[in-house]
Amino acid sequence: MSRYAVNSLLYRLKKEPDFRARFTADAAAALAGLDLTEAERSAFIARDMRKINELGGYLHLVMSIPGLAAH
Amino acid sequence: MGKIVFAGAMSHVLDPEYYDRACGAVGRQTVEAVMAEIARMGERLSARKPDALIVVADDHLNAFSFNAVPALCVRIGRDVQRMTQDHAEAFDKVLEHMPDRYPLHEDLANAILEQGLEAGFDLALSWEAPVDHAFLSPVNTMHGARPIPPLVPIWVNCFVAPQPTARRCFAFGQHIARVVARSPWNVGIIATGGLSHFPELSLPRVGETDTVFDRKLIHWMESGKHEPLLELTTGELHKAGEHEFLNWMVLIGAVTPARADVRYFGELRRINMAAVEWSLP
Repeated sequence: MSRYAVNSLLYRLKKEPDFRARFTADAAAALAGLDLTEAERSAFIARDMRKINELGGYLHLVMSIPGLAAH
Repeated sequence: MGKIVFAGAMSHVLDPEYYDRACGAVGRQTVEAVMAEIARMGERLSARKPDALIVVADDHLNAFSFNAVPALCVRIGRDVQRMTQDHAEAFDKVLEHMPDRYPLHEDLANAILEQGLEAGFDLALSWEAPVDHAFLSPVNTMHGARPIPPLVPIWVNCFVAPQPTARRCFAFGQHIARVVARSPWNVGIIATGGLSHFPELSLPRVGETDTVFDRKLIHWMESGKHEPLLELTTGELHKAGEHEFLNWMVLIGAVTPARADVRYFGELRRINMAAVEWSLP
């Protein structure tokens, strides 16, 4: 588990609309090449914010990414 | 000789729509009640004609990326812009109707920074970081249509472990008080955030608060017993959802041993709302 990998990805999803659009269109393709564990990758592909938070994703990011936020 | 002429601390997501969505009608009523008290605090602040307003708050991973996460950071420069977010969600939405830019009190910010480094506080500085709801929601609620005094935004890292200690935040507040006392300015200071919410920053625990812990903090603030506050660990603050109390610790250090008056305390499923003002000599 990498706190940095998970959170830097969350940050990009929040702050980079183009990257967010690519992720929304094809999450697996958008994540290709990123240094994630299989658990992290699966959680992002499933848009499972609870799991992403459990894996170290900061709460305020998982609650505020446009279109993906958990409430 | 300068003086701290106003000190107050308050919750900082001041958005009836947000709490209506999160908690229903009671959420709206509670935040409107705390906002009314915060507006009255703002009237008292304005009446004292401050030359500057120091705002101690935290970043919600908006101003700083993972490029650098400063423990304590002073915003310098001539003005500061509000954080922008496309398709804002949740607590980011409250910013949408607020002014874009706010003047800074450059000389006071530089004095806190420069004298801080000389005094042993290894402060970070920023010319560019934007401010999010933690700063602007209270500032705009306090002022309404009245002019906002030049700001000195100061960030405390409340969320990204390891955070600065409560004791260090308090000591930094004492430094701020010394800088103000040596200056020619009348200064207001507010700290924002809290009280208890989002324990352990855990999504399944959103909705839990710790009223017992809040009451303990309030007791120590009301009685002016600040020594126990210095013993608070970031671990226990994390467990109780009191992360943002580190901001309050800076303010308490700046006004110690002044006693606090609670203007509002309201329990809500998502967060316990508070507005507190200190009686200053």
